[in-house]
Amino acid sequence: MSNSSTTRPAATPAARFQTPRRLFSTVEGVFNEELFFLILSVFIGIFAGMAVVCFRLAIDWMHLALLGPLPQTHGWRLFAVPAVAGLVVAALVIHVFPGIRGSGVNQTKAALYIFNGFIPFRTAIGKFICSAIAIGSGQSLGPEDPSLQIGAGIASALGRQLEISREKLRLMAPVGAAAGLAAAFNAPISAVLFVIEEVIGRWSAGILGSVVLSAVSSVVVVRWFLGSEPLFRIPVTTFKRPTELIAYAVLGIVGGLASVAFAKSIGYLRPRLNALPRWTQYFQPALAGLLIGLIAFLGAPQIIGAGYDSMDQAMHGQYAWKVLAVLAVLKILATTLSFVSGVPGGMFAPTLFIGAMLGGAVGDVERHFFPHLTGSTGTYVLVGMGVLFAGFLRVPMTSVFMVLEVSGNYEIVVPVIVANTFSYLISRSLQTVPIFDMLTRQDGLILPSLEEDREEAILRVEDAMLPVPPTILSAEDYVDANARRVHDSTDSNFLVRMHPSGWNIISRDQLQRLFREGKGEHTLASVLPPQSLPTLYPDLPLDSALRYVNDYPLVPVVNRANSRHLEGVISRDSVFKKYGSQNSVEAPRPT
Amino acid sequence: MSWSFPKLIPRSAPVILLVLTLAAATGFAAVSHLVARFTANQQSRGRKLYAQGLAEASANRYDDAINAFRAALTCEPTNSQYQLSLARALRDSNDPNRLDEAESYLIALWQRAPQDAAVNLALARVAAHRGSIDDATRYYHNAMYGVWDSDPDANRSKARIELIQFLLKQGTPNKAASELMALATALPPDPVAHLQAAQLFAQAKDYAGELVQYEEALRLDPANSAALAGAGEAAYRSGDYATAHRYLQAAVNANPQDADSRLLLATTDLILRNNPFQSHISDVERNRRITAAFTQAEKRLTECAQQTGVDLKTATPAASPLAGLQSLWTEAKPDLTRLRSPAETDLPDALMDVVFQVEQQTAVTCGQPQGLDLALLLISHKREVASR
Repeated sequence: MSNSSTTRPAATPAARFQTPRRLFSTVEGVFNEELFFLILSVFIGIFAGMAVVCFRLAIDWMHLALLGPLPQTHGWRLFAVPAVAGLVVAALVIHVFPGIRGSGVNQTKAALYIFNGFIPFRTAIGKFICSAIAIGSGQSLGPEDPSLQIGAGIASALGRQLEISREKLRLMAPVGAAAGLAAAFNAPISAVLFVIEEVIGRWSAGILGSVVLSAVSSVVVVRWFLGSEPLFRIPVTTFKRPTELIAYAVLGIVGGLASVAFAKSIGYLRPRLNALPRWTQYFQPALAGLLIGLIAFLGAPQIIGAGYDSMDQAMHGQYAWKVLAVLAVLKILATTLSFVSGVPGGMFAPTLFIGAMLGGAVGDVERHFFPHLTGSTGTYVLVGMGVLFAGFLRVPMTSVFMVLEVSGNYEIVVPVIVANTFSYLISRSLQTVPIFDMLTRQDGLILPSLEEDREEAILRVEDAMLPVPPTILSAEDYVDANARRVHDSTDSNFLVRMHPSGWNIISRDQLQRLFREGKGEHTLASVLPPQSLPTLYPDLPLDSALRYVNDYPLVPVVNRANSRHLEGVISRDSVFKKYGSQNSVEAPRPT
Repeated sequence: MSWSFPKLIPRSAPVILLVLTLAAATGFAAVSHLVARFTANQQSRGRKLYAQGLAEASANRYDDAINAFRAALTCEPTNSQYQLSLARALRDSNDPNRLDEAESYLIALWQRAPQDAAVNLALARVAAHRGSIDDATRYYHNAMYGVWDSDPDANRSKARIELIQFLLKQGTPNKAASELMALATALPPDPVAHLQAAQLFAQAKDYAGELVQYEEALRLDPANSAALAGAGEAAYRSGDYATAHRYLQAAVNANPQDADSRLLLATTDLILRNNPFQSHISDVERNRRITAAFTQAEKRLTECAQQTGVDLKTATPAASPLAGLQSLWTEAKPDLTRLRSPAETDLPDALMDVVFQVEQQTAVTCGQPQGLDLALLLISHKREVASR
């Protein structure tokens, strides 16, 4: 018996391909740009994480190949290797990878604000190679800022390759930067905060999700390959008596002063070395390397490289306070030399090093004079790290979370906050321009200063608000009654309180015309257009008034709790007058 | 010069994600390979440095050992063996500033493997360096009951012996005694172990326990002259002079050059021959011993008075205790004649009390006596212990 009626016909080749294509188009339809950007952030984190793993291996390999294992590094290598490597790095920077000088934070910020998210991929590669040679050969710089820029470079290249929108492309650099920094520090929260606080400068749900995803995925990748060991062996930290906060406040003050000295030495030397003839730039990194090597050769090998091993030992009381203090001073000197000579490398690790040594020294001295203090050397070292971070890099929130994340100990949160606050305030009062802003201005770029933006006085509606007009009309009253009320007034426009809520506006001419047209017996509500007048609140930024003042001669400013209660009015003249007076008193920004 | 990728990726979201996934997988494979090679190189370098560190540590060159172990740890930061060795070198370098670092390494290891006996033993030694009795005891106990890689029984005994020595050094013999009892029950059948335990009992002033250990050693090795001498001395210290005499005689026979045992044997002999309270002696012999002791006491008193410049004829008891003893002795002397009387049952004790007072006081005033005076002094101590 034939069963042709129940048998499905054989699919034609065209039909066979229809189902996957439909599935494909369905899947494609699921992705809007926001979702796609979030998924892309995870991939950015993965790629940045792998790049940072390779970067760390490259630094370690360089170090072992050029200097040998750190505790056994000695002899002529100590000053010969950094000097020769300095020559190589200088040649590479001048001829092959221009634009990789410095830490990389500012370049990432510039990519966001000036170059629409564009970071040449060559910069990322150059940063990788030159920083690995420089740090591995003993220059006093760290791997974190280069990792940040490598992550940003990878993200930027990926974004360009995928031709995503300009708005998203601009955000790719900070997303990659967060991934790179998180991978380098093995600390995702601090990385996210730093990027938000220093690079992007604002909180928004869209960018925050991407930054967090990329940071977390990069940390997962790094831990996958290199394990989850913290950067330091964390000592026992103690904080028992609130009176000990005074000791930490002193540490904050000392740290703030050290931060200023560090920043000012860089700010003073960098433009002067840049102004020297071009041929000297070949030798500046070599000379810096030679001097750093000499310092190491003469008895302070701890200052070469990032210095995490020495921080670890300081944390466990391996150095007397005099040694700690000397190391802090020498590290400031060595890092200044490395950085101003144009060697690519980061300032995060040296900042932590200086803070650690300073913290240990101050703690030991304090405990010598006040033996009842219970904080261990390790506690002061940890707090000291945050102090320099807050004072030198001027990232107060990141500095607190960085210490907590690195130590995994919330017992010291109060000392950290107290010390960091003192350090930040002292640094801000003695060094007006933060280090990253100072560096960009020295390079001739005008990037938004996020610290200045954060603290800029915002003009609000209440600042330009005029007093409540003497004549407020009621929409329930008749036209002729209202016309009589405005008769003696000198104003030309009048606010009308609508019923049960809302506001409207009517001019003297309109009111008189209605009266002449015989509508005196009509209520004002019946003759006014139905749409309400927009209202403002006193605490809104004055910018928000600009949307209305051109369309309406008066805009009511009402109370947030009772919209019928009038606080005042805004007019175009009052807004412009306020902006005018603001501009005349505002000092021009330094350039 | 401008570098850029050729635009290879089609702009369709699923395809892009597929390509990215493939790229990530390829990257993972490549980075895994790199990390594996680098790690292998580092491990090889670390092993060499570690061996170097061990050699330096065994030669007591701790600074060099610490450097080598640190270098090994830069190659392999998570290697427990390297960390443990570095911690030991830091601890043994006799630099108190390094104890913190040693402890932090050990605490990190302990957190990873709290049952590891070697780590607990190292932590116990750090605590012992600090003089922290509670921490040291806790970590030594952890080491005893922890997991040893090899020869657990011997290692546990060693750990307990170390704890006992630490407790004795800290002046806590009671805590040491409880550990000694535990040690005694778990010793292997080895005369050397028992000899070592006996010495610990001696340090804890538990002479009975000391004697038991020497006897156990002699059971395993009857000709062991050290055990014979030790047993004799332990019995002598515990006041069991008959046993002491037996062991000391055997020790002298086994090793005629053993002057200490010979001296103790002579004293023991005097005690056994002059102790009026010894059982199984006749009344006549007892009275003879009491008379001899009484006479010896007077002699000792006179000599001591001369030595210290006291004139017993003119000095008052208030001026010198020796004068008081002299008058006591003189008052008791007539009682010697009544020793034979069966009614005077308390008289021997009363007379010997005078003798004991003389010997004890002169020992305080003129120093440790010799010969018969020493024997009488020891008998007095034994009497006191017995009466208590």
